[in-house]
Amino acid sequence: MLRVMNRLLHMVFVLWAVATIMFFMFRLMTGNPLAAYIDTNFTIEQQQALMAQFGLDKPLWKQYIIYMGNLLQGELGQSFFYRKPVGEVLMNAFPNTIVLTMGALVIAYLFGIPVGAYLAWKRGTWVEGVGIPTVLATRAAPEFWLGMILLAVFAFNLGWFPSGGANTAGAEFDSELARFLSLDFLWHLILPALSLSLYLQGLPLLLMRSNMLEVMQEEFVTMARMKGLSEWAIIMRHAARNALLPVVTTFALSIGLSVGGNVVVETVFSWPGLGRLLVGAVASSDFPLAQGAFLLITLVLVTMNFVADLLYHTLDPRVSHGSRN
Amino acid sequence: MIRRKILFTALSLGVSAFAVGALPLASPAMADVGEIRDLTLLARDQGANPQAFQAAQLIAQVWNQLGLKVTVRGMPRLQQSELVWYNRDKWDMTMWQMVGRPERSDPDELLFNLFHSSTTESGYNFIGYKSEEFDKLAEAQRVETDKDKRSDLIKQAQAVLARDQPNMFLVYPKRTFAFDNAIFADDSVVEQSGLGIKNIWSYLGAKPLGDQKDMILNSTDPLNAINPLYISGATDSWVTELIWDRLLRISPEGLAEPWAAESFEWLDQTTIDVVLREGMKWHDGMPVTVEDVVFSFEVPNVGDEVPMYKPFVKNIESIEIIDDRTVRFKLNNPSAAFLTSSLAKVNLVPKHIWQPVIDDLANRPENAESYQEDLPIGSGPFKFVRWKQQEEVVLARNPEHFSPPQIDRWIIRIVSNSEATISMLRSGEINFLADYNGDPEILKDVAAKDGDISIVSSTDIGFQYATVNQRRPPFDDVAMRRALSLAIDRDLMVEAAWNGSAEVANSPVSTALAFWRDDDALAISANLEEAKALLKDAGYRLIDGRLHYPEGVEETLVGP
Amino acid sequence: MAAATEDLALAPYIYRRKSVRKRVLSALHSLVAVPMRDPFALAGVAIYAVFVFVAIFANQIAPYDPLEILFADGKLAANIAPLTEPHILGTTNLGRDIFSQLVFGTRSALIIGLSAAFVVATLGTLVGLLAGYFGGWVDVVTMRVADIALGIPFLPFVIVLAAFLDPSVWNIVLAMAILLWPNTARVVRSQVLTVRERAFIDAARVTGSSTSRIIFQHVAPNILPLSFLYGSIAIGWAILTEASISFLGFGDSNSVSWGVMLQDAFLSQALSRGQYYWFLPPGFCIILVVVAGFFISRGYEEILFPKLRD
Repeated sequence: MLRVMNRLLHMVFVLWAVATIMFFMFRLMTGNPLAAYIDTNFTIEQQQALMAQFGLDKPLWKQYIIYMGNLLQGELGQSFFYRKPVGEVLMNAFPNTIVLTMGALVIAYLFGIPVGAYLAWKRGTWVEGVGIPTVLATRAAPEFWLGMILLAVFAFNLGWFPSGGANTAGAEFDSELARFLSLDFLWHLILPALSLSLYLQGLPLLLMRSNMLEVMQEEFVTMARMKGLSEWAIIMRHAARNALLPVVTTFALSIGLSVGGNVVVETVFSWPGLGRLLVGAVASSDFPLAQGAFLLITLVLVTMNFVADLLYHTLDPRVSHGSRN
Repeated sequence: MIRRKILFTALSLGVSAFAVGALPLASPAMADVGEIRDLTLLARDQGANPQAFQAAQLIAQVWNQLGLKVTVRGMPRLQQSELVWYNRDKWDMTMWQMVGRPERSDPDELLFNLFHSSTTESGYNFIGYKSEEFDKLAEAQRVETDKDKRSDLIKQAQAVLARDQPNMFLVYPKRTFAFDNAIFADDSVVEQSGLGIKNIWSYLGAKPLGDQKDMILNSTDPLNAINPLYISGATDSWVTELIWDRLLRISPEGLAEPWAAESFEWLDQTTIDVVLREGMKWHDGMPVTVEDVVFSFEVPNVGDEVPMYKPFVKNIESIEIIDDRTVRFKLNNPSAAFLTSSLAKVNLVPKHIWQPVIDDLANRPENAESYQEDLPIGSGPFKFVRWKQQEEVVLARNPEHFSPPQIDRWIIRIVSNSEATISMLRSGEINFLADYNGDPEILKDVAAKDGDISIVSSTDIGFQYATVNQRRPPFDDVAMRRALSLAIDRDLMVEAAWNGSAEVANSPVSTALAFWRDDDALAISANLEEAKALLKDAGYRLIDGRLHYPEGVEETLVGP
Repeated sequence: MAAATEDLALAPYIYRRKSVRKRVLSALHSLVAVPMRDPFALAGVAIYAVFVFVAIFANQIAPYDPLEILFADGKLAANIAPLTEPHILGTTNLGRDIFSQLVFGTRSALIIGLSAAFVVATLGTLVGLLAGYFGGWVDVVTMRVADIALGIPFLPFVIVLAAFLDPSVWNIVLAMAILLWPNTARVVRSQVLTVRERAFIDAARVTGSSTSRIIFQHVAPNILPLSFLYGSIAIGWAILTEASISFLGFGDSNSVSWGVMLQDAFLSQALSRGQYYWFLPPGFCIILVVVAGFFISRGYEEILFPKLRD
């Protein structure tokens, strides 16, 4: 319990630090952060009044305290471009990104874990000789390039899947949940999720493989062998189960990393997610929105690191022993 | 070959300089005395406007042949306008465009605003062009009500521009649009002169042939605002003109004709009576009244809450309610363009909604441009349904309107790249291609394969150009500007950058507005040798391939 | 895309059991021996050799200036099909020689990759060495800073940085320097902790060697292979990041890189035109270079953490 509290405090510390760094980056590097908001149609008095309203006439340390105070209340300011509260704009995009990420990860793990186990079993054969370089190549390929090719083949040429977006234009739903559960949404999700998972499957696959190799050296496997159990039974009943645990903990970690890494795939598939929002906000100098999107992505990353850490320690007793010593 | 060697050496030097961590984006320290500094040609990023980006590359290459050192830099729209529009003395050269809008069917708006010296400080004349001769002509045409005489003045003004070359006009692009003719009857889509088929008359007239009664259009850029008192992004104005009515509308032929006004009548050169149509209703059910009309035209002139519409109502001295359907506008000066640029421009807004908003804004630093209604209310032929920021805008048919559309819904999808856009047109994910800046040949191929896609291209009222900052040397020199313009091969631009889908430009008045221009006087053809000679005659010196100022001229820049 | 981040971020988990292993080969030996023993690593080295050769002799190999707009008979030489004399891979939509761009792209890929690797490995190793050797508050402070850096999402950070600074590949190197050193530093640190306790270090301490001498002459060589491993992972990642950033439009459009080529191809509708010779080769080049890096780093991994081999 003490450990959990400790890790939680640690997470809060990291969040605070990142928020602070962001504050100074946006204040010091942008010159006038209101530049995109104030146009020359505003009179000098209006401009000054606006500066005052955003607190930009105050000394930096005061601005910082205001900013932190607002953050604590979940107040992220007003988007310059959309003229709406940043929180509202973010919450329109966030579920799309989470669903895309989770969808892709589920595909990646469902594929990667068994194939990784299989490759471990086939070590030293030609299957491994072909399999490993192929897996590495999918991890080495730029995601947007894979996405472009998938899009060209399955949408542009074959017409099996839509060319972008998350829904058919004008589609009506009773609720957000109904939208996510609709066939229309699924149909739009497949290609982007697939291009992401093409890349994401490498990690669980390779991890599973190396863990399997390791577990198969251990005593209980040797024991099972001596008991005359079949190789398949050994793998399924003993090795795989033990090898699986560390792989599972990386799932949480991957969520955090992937939410920030989705940007390019979202762009290729015109996916209305957080990453595209960030890119758009940065391009249009919409600093409150860019800052908000960045902080939200950070929040997911840090939280998932925390979750992975907890899982890791809960699932693997050896580690907690180690830390107690 | 030698040139290539030099380039390579320069490149490898640059690369090795990078390698030691230096960032030589610009190295002004090295320039020797009298040498014209290294220049950056700003442009929209390639994704946003691939043709202009290509044109910029071609222009940079040919200007470098004159002895300048020009590099192209693409950037997002806001970043570019931040520099060009708001930091008027800090840039050297940029690509720019003016888009066609119905009210630009009258040449006044672009001709006057772009070049009149009164707009140099904060208006459209961001290049800092000043010419008394031009100012006089531009002012004279404004108050001239005889159409032929006015045309003469406008032609003379264009001749001054052709001589001074404040802008290097490149092309009037042919806007290419397409729609699915299996969904909408071919003859029900209307072409408007200078604008193409992407216009309100098409949206109103398009007749669905089958079950698909939604018109689904595409837009490359996301929308910025849906606000009747704010002229924001290009796509935004497609929406505002459907939700809000105007007293007059520009007809497919380009003339301002009664719309929400039943009729109008000039009493004398500065007085006009407008009669409002009977029985109009706002989307919330309230009646449209003459008070609303007065409010709509007065609000830009009260305080500073609606700055962008100010120029369009500035000439109005007073508005008077005559009876419950008639209002009388009195003008300060006679104005030939008043119908087009005021009565057909200003959106009619409901006073009961906007008066409280404006009152509230008066106590705050923001103006009406910062205000976004959750549910925009107008009186137009389409009602607002929803706006999902990165995805779509949905409008629905307003059956109570005096000119109701045939389609059920009008939907814009935000699709940021041309590849996906084309594919969506084929698959029916969109059925009206409203925003396409890709290669027209590809579109033609797709249409030929598909069989159900009609393509319509028409020359735009808008234009694409390169321009230089006349606040900074050497661009304050007419000879320099003429030489730069002469070096540009516009025919090549048409072919190489616009894939043949454009017309050569040398004036802010498009060939689509033939009545207002003298084609012969505006002819221009590239001549690199003559350009070089022009520079030489003006005293510029070519030393080691780099252009230097005339003897005794020193480079001094305003601003930091 | 985030290949390396994941690998790096996951390192403490993946290597948990191996990091305590006390087997550390001598730096020099492993650097040379690995490729000889491992066919994958050998293939990786061979691929690198080819790309390095191309990068060095780019001027001689490429027939054109990669940015020159070419004309033929007074007309723009645009969209020329591949294998048309003298354009091996044809030309772009704006009449630029694709093969020349590919060749010069090699150069920028290697420059970005190697400088990022160098920065990440050097910074990470230095911090790891100091934190591990001195322990105490040095250790606490550096490791807290490392935690913060690891809490910042990488690609979004590069995007924000690129928006504030002028477009340049050095943003990517800078971002990698700021965000990726902690992974190296953490592993190096734990390695140092084990090395520190060894007899020969004690011996050096007793004989009165200075601290810096102990760190750099006795401890550092033992962890060099580890820095090398992390550096080689960073190469691939830097190249992939550059490609992504260029694709998103935050790159320097006046530079020649595979990422910029892909962006150009996408925006010029190479897919619709069926110009596979334009958008496939840069992708394959990226895959080859990054995979070569993976192969080499796997080779080292297996030497450093030999249990994987069995």
